[in-house]
Amino acid sequence: MIIYLRSGRKLHDLLKPDVDQYTRHVEMQEGATLVEILGELGIPLVMVAFAFVDGKVRKLDYAPTDGDVITIQSPVAGG
Amino acid sequence: MALLADELDRYARQMGLPDWGKDGQERLRAASVFIAGAGGLGSAAALYVAAAGVGRITLCDPDTVELSNLNRQVLYSTSDVGREKTAAASERLASLNPATAIVPLRERIDTCSAPDLVAGHDIAIDCLDTLEARFILNRACMALDVPVIYAAVSGFTGQLSFIHPPATPCLKCFIPHKSTTEKPQVPGCTTGIMGSLQAAEAIKYLTGIGSTLAGRLLIVEGMEPRFDILEIEKDPDCPACGSQAE
Repeated sequence: MIIYLRSGRKLHDLLKPDVDQYTRHVEMQEGATLVEILGELGIPLVMVAFAFVDGKVRKLDYAPTDGDVITIQSPVAGG
Repeated sequence: MALLADELDRYARQMGLPDWGKDGQERLRAASVFIAGAGGLGSAAALYVAAAGVGRITLCDPDTVELSNLNRQVLYSTSDVGREKTAAASERLASLNPATAIVPLRERIDTCSAPDLVAGHDIAIDCLDTLEARFILNRACMALDVPVIYAAVSGFTGQLSFIHPPATPCLKCFIPHKSTTEKPQVPGCTTGIMGSLQAAEAIKYLTGIGSTLAGRLLIVEGMEPRFDILEIEKDPDCPACGSQAE
C-alpha cells in the first residue's frame, strides 16, 4: 500500500519529503502501524506525539490504509 | 447587582454582540478564572480575560521576570526584570481593569498543591510550560469538575482544546507522556495568537455564547499558514480518565 506522511517544519529534515515540501510517499505492507512505519523511516518515536488522519487524531498504534494522508505532530509543550 | 454606568461604557463594544448583552457581562463579572502560568500564553490570556471584565483572576507562577521573557511575555516591561511575575502582572492587570480582582500566587503547581490552588474557580487556563505540570493540572481539574483550556506552543506552531471530562477527552487521552526538556524557540506572535484564543474560549464558556473546542483540537501552523480542527476521542484505556484510571 502507499500512504502519504506529512509533517510541520520541525520534523522536515527527518521526514525527507519527496512529494512536495512537506509530504513523503511511503510504500508499506498492509497492517503496518505508525510505530512500525516511523521506525522504518528512522524517525525517533520521541519526536512524534500523535498523528492525524482524515480530520481525526490518531495514536501511533494506528494502522493506516492505502491512500491515507497522515500528518505527524511533534510534541509541543511550551507556554 | 446591576452593571454600573462606567461598566456599561467600558464594555459597550462587546455587550452588543449577539447573545452577550448585560446578562453575559454580569456572568463574566461573577466569574473566577485560574490562570496556570504567567508566561507567553498567560500574558495574552490574562490581558484579554481582564479586559473583558472577568471578576476574579488568580494568576499562578513561581518565577521572576527575565530579560529573555520579554519577546513574548507582554504583561511585563523592561523595568520588571527581576521582579516576581505575579506581582508585576497584578499591577499591569489592575491598571488595565481596576474592577477585576487579581489574586497573585507565587506557587509551583505540583500534585500536592494543585487541587487547593484550583478549587473555587469556574475555569482554568493551562498556560504551563511542561507536560508534567499540565498532566497534574489536568488531573486536579478533573477531580474538581473544572474545565481546562489547554494550549501549547513551539516555534510558529500552537495547539488548543477545551477539556472537560467526562464530556470530552482529557489531556492524557490524546497527548502521550513524552518529556520535552528543551526550552522551545517561540516568537511572541505565536503565544499571542494562542493565548488570545484561550481567552476567547474562556469568555464563550463563561458567558454561554457560541461553542467551544470541546472534543476538538485546533492546530495552528504559522510558518506555512494552516489551521486544522481535528476530532479527538476519549481513550477507553486512558490512565487518567479511562476505566483503568490510576
